[in-house]
Amino acid sequence: MRIKLTSIMVDHQEKGLKFYTEVLGFRKKHDIPVGEYRWLTVVSPEGPDDVELALEPNANPAGKTFQDAMFAQGIPLAAFEVSDIEQEYARLTAKGVAFTKPPAKAGPVSIAILADTCGNLIQLYQPV
Amino acid sequence: MLLRHEGFRRLCRARDLLRELREPPPSIEELAREVRISPFHFIRQFEAVFGTTPHQYRIQSRIDLAKELLGRGEHSVTAVCLEVGFSSLGTFSALFTRRVGETPSTYRRRVRAMVLVPGARLIHLTPGCLSLMSALPGSAFRQSLRNFREA
Repeated sequence: MRIKLTSIMVDHQEKGLKFYTEVLGFRKKHDIPVGEYRWLTVVSPEGPDDVELALEPNANPAGKTFQDAMFAQGIPLAAFEVSDIEQEYARLTAKGVAFTKPPAKAGPVSIAILADTCGNLIQLYQPV
Repeated sequence: MLLRHEGFRRLCRARDLLRELREPPPSIEELAREVRISPFHFIRQFEAVFGTTPHQYRIQSRIDLAKELLGRGEHSVTAVCLEVGFSSLGTFSALFTRRVGETPSTYRRRVRAMVLVPGARLIHLTPGCLSLMSALPGSAFRQSLRNFREA
């Protein structure tokens, strides 16, 4: 048993792909049409190349309710590790990304929280 | 852009208001006033957080709701049009067709034909639980399996 795939729900897959690649900087790995949706995954250019994040279409009303509630409560639905959180904060802010929490030390990590424009909050963390 | 707690809370409230089916829908200026942000900042912040303008967000949430109602097959296209807050069937049909790629009645017929059991939901109508994986060609997985074996 291996962890090779995880997923995040996005309200619109094309918008999600743009944000996760052009803004965050991930690379598209799979893009396979399935009916009116796509099997869409990204990987980090910093590796590992075979751990994929699927951008799932969130068309299920139950999923939307969950996503909206978590968002409104300020709770991130995914976390990505970064090597330099201050630098990422500056880079992403310059690209117009909205943060709800600027980098701050929290125990063994520094964390920051951003909105992914697709209905989720994402936590960035840097082990200190 | 850094949104502090209060600013973030107001945007979430604005998003809820945009989903409401008030008729006539409140203008963006009225909504901005309700959440106590200037219209300029409201649009700018909303777009940074939700990736779309408040106006586009409202239209899309109405189209999404229309798709859900049409998919149930219990309501006519006209009833759905009124239910999601459009007073003109022509405007609704044109918008729906542009965004979904087929007319409301074609969509309704197609989705109804897919749903065999009353009340059942098909995975491709409501994906969001990795269910799309079962519809992929085998080649989507071969690569990663090979990498694993070589490792």
